[in-house]
Amino acid sequence: MNKQNEFEPKIIAFLCNWCSYAAADLAGSSRIQYPPNIRVIRVPCSSRIDPLLIIKAFKMGADGILVSGCHPGDCHYIDGNMYARRRFVMLKELLAFSGIEEERINFTWCSASEGKRFGGIVEEVVNNIKKVGPWQGLGVKEGGLVSGK
Amino acid sequence: MANKIDEIREIARKLMEEETVERVIGYGKADFTEEMTPVFITSPEEVEKLLFNEKSNMMLAKYLLNYKDSKTGIVAKPCDTRAIASYLSEDMLKRDNVVIIGINDCPGMTDNTACNECEVRNPVLSDYTVGEEGEVPELKLDKTLEEMSTAERKEYFVDQFSRCMRCYACRQACYVCYCEECFVDSNQPRWVGQGTNPEDNFTYHLMRAMHMAGRCINCGACEVACPEDIDVRALTAHLSRYAEEIYNFKSGMDPQAKTLLSDYNPDDSQPGFID
Repeated sequence: MNKQNEFEPKIIAFLCNWCSYAAADLAGSSRIQYPPNIRVIRVPCSSRIDPLLIIKAFKMGADGILVSGCHPGDCHYIDGNMYARRRFVMLKELLAFSGIEEERINFTWCSASEGKRFGGIVEEVVNNIKKVGPWQGLGVKEGGLVSGK
Repeated sequence: MANKIDEIREIARKLMEEETVERVIGYGKADFTEEMTPVFITSPEEVEKLLFNEKSNMMLAKYLLNYKDSKTGIVAKPCDTRAIASYLSEDMLKRDNVVIIGINDCPGMTDNTACNECEVRNPVLSDYTVGEEGEVPELKLDKTLEEMSTAERKEYFVDQFSRCMRCYACRQACYVCYCEECFVDSNQPRWVGQGTNPEDNFTYHLMRAMHMAGRCINCGACEVACPEDIDVRALTAHLSRYAEEIYNFKSGMDPQAKTLLSDYNPDDSQPGFID
């Protein structure tokens, strides 16, 4: 496959304002190279992410999502990410159980000083999503069928 | 079963005569079929209407939310008592306003596959009990979905949910679905379209399940209510099993406990996160 036709996933990255967004910023200002596949949405806290936002991203055609917040214990709002963590664990299990490939749903923690690590995570996520291929759409089977065989 | 009915009527009559409650909610026979229907007893003479059998599969606990401020007696299967316990833990009810007539040794309902997986056969909280405490019969757990591959499950759920006509019977029957405005009815922002295209159906069922996470008691009311026989319970039931596995959390067992997602432990495990 030549470079032009290679599948380039679109990944929606929800980054928390206080840590992960700053990490992405640091990655940029330290000129760390990472794939340009993420589209960043800045949120006040990882616990701001309603599961509906993630499902809506998939509805609108995102190939995958990445949610990143402060490390547990470092939340700007003290315990926001602790609540978020349980929610994400349940959400990931639900989406995976309903048939969405696990590789498309990514959660991580990234502090403001981990610019290099942030680049590494994006690279890992992009590679994983490239392996599972383009997103077919919500409520659609392999090959684009909506019902029947 | 006949003894249980007599006991239920006796307790209900006592409650009505002493005027401890304003009404008793229980099961009675429906007008034109052999099915059961909820009945509301408001005077001692009416207690003869009360019945209980293997077809009493509605969740009466949800009616309690209509009578938050007055005293109500309720004939409660063990799953109804779990529902009441979760209402208490979510601060939706006052304990003093409910008089629970719990049914011991629940036989399990016909037409409700959830009862085959139920391990709570006696009330978790009650003011009066009916019958003797019973043992948990052998459970019949259906693991077919868990054993499928992701692609097979996707195919299964797309087929199931493509039949959905979005009548919201599963939402209305569910005891934990009590939001004043459901996200599907919101038009600013509009999360889900009003039609029945597969994408919107899938979104609805995913979000319904997500709102049940850590709250569903796997009573099967949604599945019984579904006119299209869709496996609507599969997602919520899986999540409640998963919550038990990961967080050792079972909803509706303790009226003092916090719900799963409104609580945390700093040492919670985080399976599937990127380290």
